[in-house]
Amino acid sequence: MAETRDFLLEIGTEEMPSAPLMNAQKQLGTIIERGMAETGLAHGAIRTLSTPRRLAVIVEACATATDEVHDVKRGPAAQIAFDADGAPTKAALGFARKCGVDAAALVRRVDTDGREYVFAEKTIPSAPALPLLSALSERTIASLEWPNYRSQRWGSEHAGFVRPIRWICALLGSEVVPVSYADVTSGSTTRGHRVLAPGDHAVPEASCYERVLEDAFVLGEKRRAEVIRAGIAAIEQERGGAHVDTPKRIFDEVVNLCEWPSVLVGTFDEQFLAVPHEIICESMLSNQRYFPVYAADGSLTREFVVVSNAAPGTEATVVDGNERVVRARLYDAKFFYDEDLRVPLDEYVERLSVVTFQEKLGTMRAKVSRMETLAGAVAELAGTDAETHREAVRAAHLAKGDLVSQAVVEFTNQQGVMGGYYAAAAGEPAAVCQAIREHYRPRFAGDELPEGIVGKAVAIADKLDTICGIFAIDEAPTGSSDPYAVRRATIGVISMLKELPSVSLAALIDTALASYADQGLAFDSADVAGKVRAFFAGRLAAIAKDEGIAADIIDAISAIGIIDPAEFLARARALADARANSPELFEDLSTAYTRAAHLGDASLGTDCDASLMTEPETALLAAIEHGRGAVADRLEAKDFAGAFTALAELREPIDRFFVEVLVMDEDTRVKENRLRLLNRFSGIFADVADIGCLSKK
Amino acid sequence: MNADVLTFQDMILALERYWAAQGCTVMQPYDSEVGAGTFHTATTLRSLGPAAWRTCYPQPCRRPADGRYGENPNRMQHYYQFQVILKPCPPDSQDLYLGSLAAIGLDPAKHDVRFVEDDWESPTLGAWGLGWEVWLDGMEVTQYTYFQQVGGIEVDPVPVEITYGLERIAMYIQGVDSVYDLIWSYLPDGTPMTYGDVFLENEREFSAYNFEVADVEMMRAKFDDYEAECHRCLDAKLPLPAYDCVMKCSHAFNLLDSRGAISATERANYILRVRTVAKACCEAYLELVAARSESKEGEVA
Repeated sequence: MAETRDFLLEIGTEEMPSAPLMNAQKQLGTIIERGMAETGLAHGAIRTLSTPRRLAVIVEACATATDEVHDVKRGPAAQIAFDADGAPTKAALGFARKCGVDAAALVRRVDTDGREYVFAEKTIPSAPALPLLSALSERTIASLEWPNYRSQRWGSEHAGFVRPIRWICALLGSEVVPVSYADVTSGSTTRGHRVLAPGDHAVPEASCYERVLEDAFVLGEKRRAEVIRAGIAAIEQERGGAHVDTPKRIFDEVVNLCEWPSVLVGTFDEQFLAVPHEIICESMLSNQRYFPVYAADGSLTREFVVVSNAAPGTEATVVDGNERVVRARLYDAKFFYDEDLRVPLDEYVERLSVVTFQEKLGTMRAKVSRMETLAGAVAELAGTDAETHREAVRAAHLAKGDLVSQAVVEFTNQQGVMGGYYAAAAGEPAAVCQAIREHYRPRFAGDELPEGIVGKAVAIADKLDTICGIFAIDEAPTGSSDPYAVRRATIGVISMLKELPSVSLAALIDTALASYADQGLAFDSADVAGKVRAFFAGRLAAIAKDEGIAADIIDAISAIGIIDPAEFLARARALADARANSPELFEDLSTAYTRAAHLGDASLGTDCDASLMTEPETALLAAIEHGRGAVADRLEAKDFAGAFTALAELREPIDRFFVEVLVMDEDTRVKENRLRLLNRFSGIFADVADIGCLSKK
Repeated sequence: MNADVLTFQDMILALERYWAAQGCTVMQPYDSEVGAGTFHTATTLRSLGPAAWRTCYPQPCRRPADGRYGENPNRMQHYYQFQVILKPCPPDSQDLYLGSLAAIGLDPAKHDVRFVEDDWESPTLGAWGLGWEVWLDGMEVTQYTYFQQVGGIEVDPVPVEITYGLERIAMYIQGVDSVYDLIWSYLPDGTPMTYGDVFLENEREFSAYNFEVADVEMMRAKFDDYEAECHRCLDAKLPLPAYDCVMKCSHAFNLLDSRGAISATERANYILRVRTVAKACCEAYLELVAARSESKEGEVA
């Protein structure tokens, strides 16, 4: 067993961005683990460390050389390996070549089974670790990837990395592992904190890397996160149950913006608390990476937490500087907000007449008019009272007004939120304000829906108007291109309509398209409506599939043109349950239906003459008549399970019919009467599900 | 104001002196309206080709739509950038930059300086790069970019562009909350000459001009004329005058924008037209000038 030393590879760079850095650190561990296995060097645990200026990996107890390996491979039986003259046969030559030894070096020996074989024996000598680690290190640096980001070149170099590499510290024990990448060659020094310990710091031994770093005011990511968490906890404690909001993405960024964190508290002026808190928090979190502080009672306070990377002793300067920045930002925000409040929201809505919604679809103002109609239609179909209906139309009228307010031009993410404030300031009803605030929801899969019916009405109107408009100008999304996020809007509409079972999507699509037509857009209404319905059907099928509903059941419901999400899913679930309870019955029923639909000739109609019927036919007719009434009743009651039960009762008479009756009778009158009976049978299914899909395997 | 605190003009002079000592050719602003220091030929065109190049210069920038009639303490339609180009970027460029902060009285050891990811892309120049915005105690003071492409052409070697926001840094150094209160210089009797004295009237008048007065039809015609002139210059193998026309197109477009005369589609189309001529100028400059100087070097060797 060779001696062991710790192996260190530190890639020293200029400041790397947070997300790619975190991703690269994960890759680094995996690449080195796999690479070490390939080198054949024995080793202990592998750990990684990162700061904005370095990515490092430490392999503990790495052997300084590979073990010598004595490799013995058994080849073909001796009698096959040599010909009569004792010369090696093709089999022996092939085996020798495969093992990388000379045929003359093959050895004959009796193995444990008593037979004689040829053996290839090879001794792979021990290889020193340094060249292996050099190659591994260079390969590793080159193979790190930067998904959702890109790498860059620097100087006169053509190699890439996420930011320029400025040093490489690579050691096996205390010996430098030679590594070259771009214009950098490895050495035995790391670099310290930019101002607290600038310049090179010797790393005498790979095993004391972290200690050298700490002496040079550099902490790894885990330690930095701990220091920041501890600082925040202390701040919360000093303030008796205060809460510091640290969203994960921002927290990760803050951890990756420092090497030696100090947690400080700044304050902004009381007057800015009058600014909507969403703006204050966005300004602090997204723009400045400050964490807002909430009091024990949940109210936003004037304090914020800022993490500094500066030298101890600079706290006052750093806090003062940051307070000035936040003051300037909040001053702007307050100025915009106060200015915005001077203009009635209705006035902003009129200003939307100079804002383009979509080149071919006209202005935002025109969209607002269409949204009013559509939101009204949603409220009406949902069966709301007159006041709620009025609120839906009013909220739709005002919803987009804030787009031209100064605050939203400046803080785009606060669209809707600001409109809610302006509406409240103008004394609009609470439901209207909330609807304006929430009408962009759901913004992504799994996002909350607008809470009330008014908000849902506006949100559906907004999204469906876009969807229908984009289809009307024939710019439907393709696999690679969906610039108006029509897919996301469609999924949003579906998730809201799931909660509004009485609202007919097909009717809303017609209303939306009619508004475009009224405004003078030229398109083929029936054709576009069909395409929009088909698009919804496609999304709905995908959603049902995600909910675990079988593909043939989804086909069965889709086939009859159901696109109302609540009904689609209820029918699909009912059919799935019915089939799960009696799988054979549905298999039979489906086969019978398919046969009936196949034989049936729609041109003959469904009027059959009972006087021409034999007993199995009259029995089927009676069952059909009974079933039709039952199915209609059940559908009316939206009792889909009941409808499938009613259909299931047809299985016996239809099976009997097919067994006992020859449809294609020689007498044309009899034959056609039977075909009419089958038409009548198929017809019952038309409004429930295309049951034939269930037998298509 | 504290006597050792720099005036606005001293700050520019100190930066020029500092970067001159690092081998930069101290240039003057490009003498035409530009939206950013990057548009100067000393940056855009000199980034192309193999020749080494170091320069620094202040550049007044015009962004007509940012005018606020002199009423906003932080925002103007005319402001200054200080631009540094180091090509190829040296391994110690960040240290040189930190040294420049010290040169204007901002000792990095006494402040919290961070390099925060902020990548750059200019659709009008067909250019992009990776880099940071530099924060000083939380305030964005500099844009720091390693160019990767300019005019759609891969740059090789890679220049680094360091762009200081002069007013903002000066406000921080001087501790004032309004740009118009900045001290630009002192008269012989010690009376301060403020930024407001120098530029407030300019902001008022140009805000009115940019938003209310600029002749839309003339600007449209100007854009078309300079675009055509650019092509004529390119036909005559004169990339520098051609590029000059690109600046004129770009400014005409900015004024049309501030006049609210451009719809969203028109906007995209105008940007595409600027990019097209900008790229053509870059390609012509590389072929006729930058690459030619390379072959000259080859001959000498």
